[in-house]
Amino acid sequence: MDALSEIRNVRSEPRVGLREWFKLSPARQREARWGLLFISPWLIGFLLFYLVPMIASFIFSLMDFTLSAPEDARFNGLDNWRRMLFEDPNTWQSLGVTLKFALVSLPIGMGSAFLLAVLLNSKFLVGRSFFRTLFYAPSLIPGIASILIWAQVLNNSTGWVNRFIELFGITAIGPSGLRWLDDPNLIYIAYTFIGLWGIGNAMLINLAGLQGVPTELYEAAEIDGAGWWSRLRRITIPMVSPVIFYNLILSVVGLLQYFITPFVLNQGNGYPEGATRFYMINFYKQAFNFQNMGYGAALAWLMFIIALVITIALFISGRYWVYYAGEQK
Amino acid sequence: MRKTAVRTVLLALVMTLVFSLTAAQERVQIRWYVGLGAGTDAPTIAAQEAVVADFNASQDEIELVLEIVDNAQAYDVLNTQIAAGNAPDIVGPMGIRGRASFPGAWLDLAPLIESTGYDLSDFSPELVAAYNIEGEGQLGIPFAVFPYFLAYNVELFEEAGLPLPPTEYGQPYVDADGNERPWDLETIREIGMYLTVDANGNDATSPDFDPDSIVQWGFGVGYTDVRGRASLFGGGNFADADGNAIIPDNWRIAENWYHDAMWTDYFHPNGAYNGSDLLAGGNYLGSGNVAMMPVHTWYLGWGTADLAAAWDLAPVPAYDGVTTAKLHSDTFGILASTENPEAAFTVLSYLLGEKASELTTVYGGMPARLSLQESFFETFTTKLATDYPNTDWASLNWDVVTAALAYPDVPNHEEGMPSFLEASARYVEYGQRVDNNADADVDAELDLLQADLQAIFDAAR
Repeated sequence: MDALSEIRNVRSEPRVGLREWFKLSPARQREARWGLLFISPWLIGFLLFYLVPMIASFIFSLMDFTLSAPEDARFNGLDNWRRMLFEDPNTWQSLGVTLKFALVSLPIGMGSAFLLAVLLNSKFLVGRSFFRTLFYAPSLIPGIASILIWAQVLNNSTGWVNRFIELFGITAIGPSGLRWLDDPNLIYIAYTFIGLWGIGNAMLINLAGLQGVPTELYEAAEIDGAGWWSRLRRITIPMVSPVIFYNLILSVVGLLQYFITPFVLNQGNGYPEGATRFYMINFYKQAFNFQNMGYGAALAWLMFIIALVITIALFISGRYWVYYAGEQK
Repeated sequence: MRKTAVRTVLLALVMTLVFSLTAAQERVQIRWYVGLGAGTDAPTIAAQEAVVADFNASQDEIELVLEIVDNAQAYDVLNTQIAAGNAPDIVGPMGIRGRASFPGAWLDLAPLIESTGYDLSDFSPELVAAYNIEGEGQLGIPFAVFPYFLAYNVELFEEAGLPLPPTEYGQPYVDADGNERPWDLETIREIGMYLTVDANGNDATSPDFDPDSIVQWGFGVGYTDVRGRASLFGGGNFADADGNAIIPDNWRIAENWYHDAMWTDYFHPNGAYNGSDLLAGGNYLGSGNVAMMPVHTWYLGWGTADLAAAWDLAPVPAYDGVTTAKLHSDTFGILASTENPEAAFTVLSYLLGEKASELTTVYGGMPARLSLQESFFETFTTKLATDYPNTDWASLNWDVVTAALAYPDVPNHEEGMPSFLEASARYVEYGQRVDNNADADVDAELDLLQADLQAIFDAAR
């Protein structure tokens, strides 16, 4: 019996509901009890640290709840939701900021991770292990440290990037130069640069996917006269599409939660010109800085709904472009 | 079996008694939170720890515990602690801003002042009244004031061939040709441009001046926000008495003046230069590359620790014939959530009484206690001379420091507003926008700021 048939058999077994529980043999009951026991840490953790806080946050979203005076909390119906959706321009502005950054960062980040993996998987690359380690190593540096380092590298007057660009006769230093972290038109590129420092994980997952592509497919394609681009488009990408899909989901969720870089660089003040007031920054400021925990809870729920809708949409789209070997439709 | 049971019960009784006695001997713990104002710089930490050690050694009923949180995080940390029911007992030193950031969180000290017979006669009654907030009570007892004055780099003036600023309030500025000019912001603009120099040595009045390569500026207002810098043009606030958003006329003029100073006349560092190493992270005077910078007393010492050039003190310039030297006024507060208000007040009395002289010197503030003011400068300069020997502290013009107290900003630039932290974040964003954009339309941005503040104030009603 192959693994797939085994899974199908397991799936075909009847579910054990309460009614069926009493019909189980003592041995099966004991087995189920052990199963519950082993899964209980996760269940308890889920209840305590996810489900209960989620329910609590939903209740908070219907309350006027200030952090510094929790005893004065009172029910205010849908006031927070109305303010969030119809009155507060920061809600949509911060969503717009998040979307704009995603449009810049997502293709660059995912494309770089994939292309780097393809490069590091090439049989023509000398010292593959060395380069794999080299490109993965930055991911091991704590995020905050690398953000602070990048802030100096991108500094308008003293950063290496501008100094390097100046070597080509381009004015990069000074108020009229390239103010990577001060110019709303450059800030997303700068943040994407900083993000590229941490693509090691995505690269590694892509690399694992690439190594799982059967070599006979490439050999057959070569015999048929397929070139590099054709092999990449018709064999590599379809075969690693589940990995790309997985990275896509992680990247989208990560971008929706984008927080650390703007918070470390500007304490979340939106500089420059509100261009870094990402949705999670707006949420954090409202909930923890401005003490509007009730309003913050409403913002958190809106983000949850948006993330859920996007994830469902991606899963639906995945039916049309993600290829699972052995899948039966 | 019965014997064993009796022994067990006896043992349990003895254990209970021992634990009860131990608990009774435990000292009440009072947590002192530092971070909303002065007290987080490295040199002040050891001094505060010494105060705590002295207090703990002085009696056996209260244990004082010091918590120092960096100013950038202190507001959020305190918020979280209050919400989690884990708030400290005493907070300070803090200015009006710190107090206004936590409305409703402070204990009314009036009953404790009355019950303990605390003597307030050593303070100016106006200063005591300043901490009596309508609807909230007496939220603090005066601790220290931090006057505002102009610090200037003598060598940069001499290098430019410019006479030094006046030494007293009301004195005119005598220019290089011997003409008397009022010591005001227009004069600051004129001499500021002479003191602003590009990499080629051209000053800002020269047609060859290159604004993309400035290496020295004439004037810079730092370590404050939009409200603070605008106060040179007179007191004001973004909220009127009814809690509506306003832009005071004098502040509108101020903001246009600053924008021109940054982007037209270039004698004030603009946002593009602020991150530059030339300006030492915003420490304009301390960088040695800015000729004039208004500062509070809390700046003295650490602010000029790396400044090799000679420098001195002068009055802040007037606007439209009126001088305004904004004032920082600090206190300590007790949080309403404290479980031990009496013990907390005992500590507060210690910090504001026995240790007031020591702590005000550490923080660089003039003591609010009238009896300590006379000896303050002697103590302060002695300490500065020991800690920062690169400056000849005794030779500085200290008269302008005390004289500045006669020109406070009314209303104070840190005065409260509805939804204080959110409103503050909004006007900080305004400041960033105009300071970083040569083409910013200041009046339009101020109108937008007013509209947004009104929305924030309305949401807080």
